[in-house]
Amino acid sequence: MKMTEIAIVGGGPAGLSAAVSAAASGARVTLIERDDHLGGQLKKQTHMFFGSKKQYASTRGVDIADILQEQLAKYKDRVEIMTDATVIGIYEDGILTIEQNNKYIKMQPQRIVVATGASEKFLTFPNNDMPGIYGAGAVQTLMNVYGVKPGNNVLMVGAGNIGLIVSYQLMQAGVTVKAIIDAAPRIGGYLVHASKIRRMGIPILTSHTVKYAHGKDSLEKVTICKLDEKFQPIPGTEQDIEADVMCISVGLSPLAELLWQIGCKMTFVPELGGHVPLRNGEMETSLKGIYIAGDVAGIEEASSAMVEGRLAGLCAAKGLGYEAENYEDLRKDCLEQLNSLRSGPVGEKILKGLSKVTA
Amino acid sequence: MLQNTGIPTKEDIAGVTPSLERRSKGPVAVIECYQKIPCNPCYTSCKFGAIKEFKDINDRPEVDFDKCTGCGQCVVNCPGLSIFIIDESYSDKEALVKIPYEFLPLPGEGSFVTALNREGEPVCRAKVVKIQNAKYQDRTPVVSLTVPKEYSMEVRFFNIEDYFSDNTYVCRCEELTMGELRDLIRMGYRSVDEIKRISRAGMGPCQGRTCRQLIMQELAKATNQDMKDMPMTTFRPPVKTIKLGALLGGDKDE
Amino acid sequence: MRIEEHPILSFKKGEKIKFSFDGEEYEGFEGDTIASALHAAGVKVLGHSHNHNRPRGFYCAIGNCSSCLMTVDGEPNVRTCTEKLKSGMVVETQKGKGVLK
Ligand SMILES: Cc1cc2nc3c(=O)[nH]c(=O)nc-3n(C[C@H](O)[C@H](O)[C@H](O)COP(=O)(O)OP(=O)(O)OC[C@H]3O[C@@H](n4cnc5c(N)ncnc54)[C@H](O)[C@@H]3O)c2cc1C
Ligand code: SF4
Ligand code: SF4
Ligand code: FES
Repeated sequence: MKMTEIAIVGGGPAGLSAAVSAAASGARVTLIERDDHLGGQLKKQTHMFFGSKKQYASTRGVDIADILQEQLAKYKDRVEIMTDATVIGIYEDGILTIEQNNKYIKMQPQRIVVATGASEKFLTFPNNDMPGIYGAGAVQTLMNVYGVKPGNNVLMVGAGNIGLIVSYQLMQAGVTVKAIIDAAPRIGGYLVHASKIRRMGIPILTSHTVKYAHGKDSLEKVTICKLDEKFQPIPGTEQDIEADVMCISVGLSPLAELLWQIGCKMTFVPELGGHVPLRNGEMETSLKGIYIAGDVAGIEEASSAMVEGRLAGLCAAKGLGYEAENYEDLRKDCLEQLNSLRSGPVGEKILKGLSKVTA
Repeated sequence: MLQNTGIPTKEDIAGVTPSLERRSKGPVAVIECYQKIPCNPCYTSCKFGAIKEFKDINDRPEVDFDKCTGCGQCVVNCPGLSIFIIDESYSDKEALVKIPYEFLPLPGEGSFVTALNREGEPVCRAKVVKIQNAKYQDRTPVVSLTVPKEYSMEVRFFNIEDYFSDNTYVCRCEELTMGELRDLIRMGYRSVDEIKRISRAGMGPCQGRTCRQLIMQELAKATNQDMKDMPMTTFRPPVKTIKLGALLGGDKDE
Repeated sequence: MRIEEHPILSFKKGEKIKFSFDGEEYEGFEGDTIASALHAAGVKVLGHSHNHNRPRGFYCAIGNCSSCLMTVDGEPNVRTCTEKLKSGMVVETQKGKGVLK
């Protein structure tokens, strides 16, 4: 049995930040990531991030991942990083089981921070299982991690930030985006993203959905149609778009299986993307010693994921007696950053969701 | 509407446009960021205090155009790529528009590209006069285009293909190329109607809808006139092609 | 279908790797997964569903959805979107649930 003080599950911005602040407080940390590299979603983001300096605004996502890893490297003596390692179970006695290169490892930590991120939602329409129809995350992985184009002509489904950004990234990779469609009457993502894509001549069709996907062995053509205010298809508005790739980005839901397993109190909050754990102001769940941070706690942004991670790491370490020197200031700073990020109209939804999960 | 299409309205744009007087004085930032989002690098990157203080990170940027030097620092720091520098003092007829451009290949300095508007539609031919791509810009090159002054608030992107080069078609119906049009202008044809008569451009089935604007632009450029002073072509019915039979048949009630 | 130049990222192409797919020889690069190498070579159909025999490609590319299962070196049900490509691998489409040899 492996022992550690704080086990952090997931090496995205939330997990990395939690590891940094826990290690900086003096705790021994094990960071477990199922991919062969750290960084989570950040690894695939070529665009500059929003936020303020404290959350590395204006820096590209992929570079933020490197910055966080450099910070973590300062505490080498206290930090163990396990990559290609998937946490497959957390049990009530707090034991983790990890699969790494076909080997099973048991680990007993004293505190756990779960920062597993999110998984993508799917969409139903005839032939939605055809090759050529991919999740937005898959398209990003293929293109920005492996350097392979997903195809030649893409129809993007979903005009949230992810749909808009992945469209832009596709264009950067030299792939044509035929159109972006969204069932909602309004663009969900930031309008600056929408405008920068629109001025490249890519139509953004709100109140549109996929009616049918055509193709023999893989996607060749998509029929889309217009929707009325009640989201019902308007007959006669069908049009065909030639595309060999359809990219689905209709939202994320928290990847909370491990939290269910161990028995955290969960609740369904649509504003946060689905089922999320209840938590207190220190990011601790209903189970003592189990902390959460990032998208698994509610779908939001990397900026808030990093701050939540910082907070969770700080508090988990303190629970073990490793109180950072200026603990109170640091904790307050995290809370202030979160408040300010969520204070505008975009944050309203998040705040509404959070009001339902804070114990 | 911006919220449905990503295209800002005239009113949106009017709200962020510097005065004519300010524009004619020299380079200035135009910030086309219309939504409250948690983001403030434009404000924190401006060394001249030209962007009003963000009391809240969700504030919208507001430029004090008199303090703005047009230095362009905010352009490369804006994650939304929504800031442009325009300089209408560039020359008599031309303005400079600086556009952040994160694509490859970059156009060559001195080459011509097709300037696009906020909908991605071609507006005019533009010359690339400068490309800034310094280290501090962190892979957001800024491309400076010269365009006719009246397009400084319209041109917001470009296509590296030079649609308006000599061998592109101005009039697809009658197959007139830009080069041929330029020759006609050089030969002394000076109005849209004259060019129409000699080349038949504008008399094809599209009735001049695609070419009229292009011919006028080219004439304006060659004759040093403003588009707004150009005489319009004469319009004759019908405004769309109809079968001759429909005319012959007359109105049923007759 | 490889990205040859990119305005932001630089891809370090690893060594060329040869492997076989349904009996034919293919090439990928070190660092590829099986699915990324096949996709780069234009192969989108990785298998067929077991009940209705419908073509299947990858969907999530991070090991979540099992849409990309193939038989690799005789072993069925390998998630090819996360399995790294190795020289000499024998990759086969798998019909149905796959049989353990
Ligand atoms: C296209 C796109 C654009 C975005 N743009 C922005 C932006 O401009 N600004 C912004 O602030 N945010 C942006 N985001 C959102 C941001 O990326 C996420 O909110 C953020 O990554 C969440 O961080 P996280 O650490 O919670 O999750 P993730 O980044 O998803 O990391 C979770 C990690 O956990 C690992 N993991 C999961 N399960 C296990 C397990 N069982 N065992 C081991 N490891 C596991 C995963 O492999 C992953 O590495 C964008 C997201 C996308 C997809
Ligand atoms: S162009 Fe320069 S001076 Fe003007 S707002 Fe931007 S950073 Fe400030
Ligand atoms: S940096 Fe750009 S996107 Fe952010 S607030 Fe300023 S103008 Fe808007
Ligand atoms: S594509 Fe989803 S598991 Fe491989």
